[in-house]
Amino acid sequence: MLQALREIEGGVRLSLNVAARMPRLAKPPVLESFLRQVYFSGVTAATGVILRACTLGVLIIAVMIDMLDADIDLAVKILLLLVFRELGPLAAAVVVILRTGTAISAEMAMMRVSGQTRALRYLGIDLYDYLVVPRVAGVMLATAALTLYVQFLAVSGALVISPFIIEASFTELTTRLFELFKPIDLYYSVIKSLLFGFAIAACCCWHGLNPPDLTPNGVPKVVTRAVMQSAMLVLAINAVFAYLVFGILFFGLVKAQL
Amino acid sequence: MTELAMRYARNSAGHEIRLDVPRGAATRVHLPDHDAKAHLVTAVLKARGEADEELELFGEPTSALRARKREQLRARVGALSPVVGLIGNLNAWENISLPAAYHGSPPLPEVARLAHEVLEGFGLAPRAFFAKLPDQLGPLERKVTALARLLVAPPELAVMDALEEGLTHAECACVGRFEAEYRARRPDGTLLYVDTLEDA
Repeated sequence: MLQALREIEGGVRLSLNVAARMPRLAKPPVLESFLRQVYFSGVTAATGVILRACTLGVLIIAVMIDMLDADIDLAVKILLLLVFRELGPLAAAVVVILRTGTAISAEMAMMRVSGQTRALRYLGIDLYDYLVVPRVAGVMLATAALTLYVQFLAVSGALVISPFIIEASFTELTTRLFELFKPIDLYYSVIKSLLFGFAIAACCCWHGLNPPDLTPNGVPKVVTRAVMQSAMLVLAINAVFAYLVFGILFFGLVKAQL
Repeated sequence: MTELAMRYARNSAGHEIRLDVPRGAATRVHLPDHDAKAHLVTAVLKARGEADEELELFGEPTSALRARKREQLRARVGALSPVVGLIGNLNAWENISLPAAYHGSPPLPEVARLAHEVLEGFGLAPRAFFAKLPDQLGPLERKVTALARLLVAPPELAVMDALEEGLTHAECACVGRFEAEYRARRPDGTLLYVDTLEDA
């Protein structure tokens, strides 16, 4: 219980500290570290999600029309709802947790264990400025970009590939998509993915900088905790956000009294 | 009376250490063990001693300093020590230039000129050397990188911690030139060589 409270307090402090220090991104080494993070978390992850994202879109349309006998209207509506509101941001967050969250927590824990964070302090370099701020900002941006990319691929995959496996033309699907699309879905997913990125990076940085013991044995423990808690945070943010914005929770099972 | 750059005392675990380091000189100290050495180096770099330590830097007792004053003292000391090792995921150039790039001075072209001078002084080809990560460098090369980083803003008091540790005989001869490199950039600076009785 005490440990959990300590982690929550540490996480909140770290988040506030990072938010206050965002202007430090202008410093050259911090900016360089930020760009590296964006490249690692966003650009190098992009190729790995192409097939999965396309398959996701095709599956949604195919399952709706072929197996559940939905008409094109309903299928496209569900595609938009799922891809923009739920699965797009969640899929990007999962990729970011698995690729970047593990890397950040392990790297930071190794730096802490091997005394490199201490060396940075003695060189007069603030750990938040140099290690935490660029990673948090980089992961936020990369998660938002990756979310948009996954959504684009899923929708494109659904529109282009679905006509080969179900009885619906590309033109029909596209026309319905543009009619049903609402910009709020896009804003919603961008803000949500920025929050996901912030939570994942802040959680992984906090665990990386606070390993349970300063030996190499502490590193795998840090990674496990960081990944587990990042995933829980993402799910919690997802639920709270859905409740706050749309007044529903768990796909409508819980409704807000607005 | 000789002006002191540093005065240090520690009384712990049966060891009594008392150290007066005159300003502008090079002083060699053999400490009883690695723990005592790590305590000394850490106290100097933090400009703050533990409960069983007394530390004066440039005539200022460090026990009850304000944070700002302590920061100012910290900026006047530096160390070539495993305590201030290289950053593993940065290459040699990034390691050398990181403090200057972060603090905004001296300008990076000046850092590059100085790094070239230091590396060439030790017979190393800067262009290939800069791209290497610390893990790809030998023990002497790592120490030269750390020296170049230290000399970017040469401190008034430089602690040289176990300089010859892990080096061959030939490499130890090279390390002997570190003082000349430091003096060339800080003629009035103070050098403190520390190692343990076991190493000695």
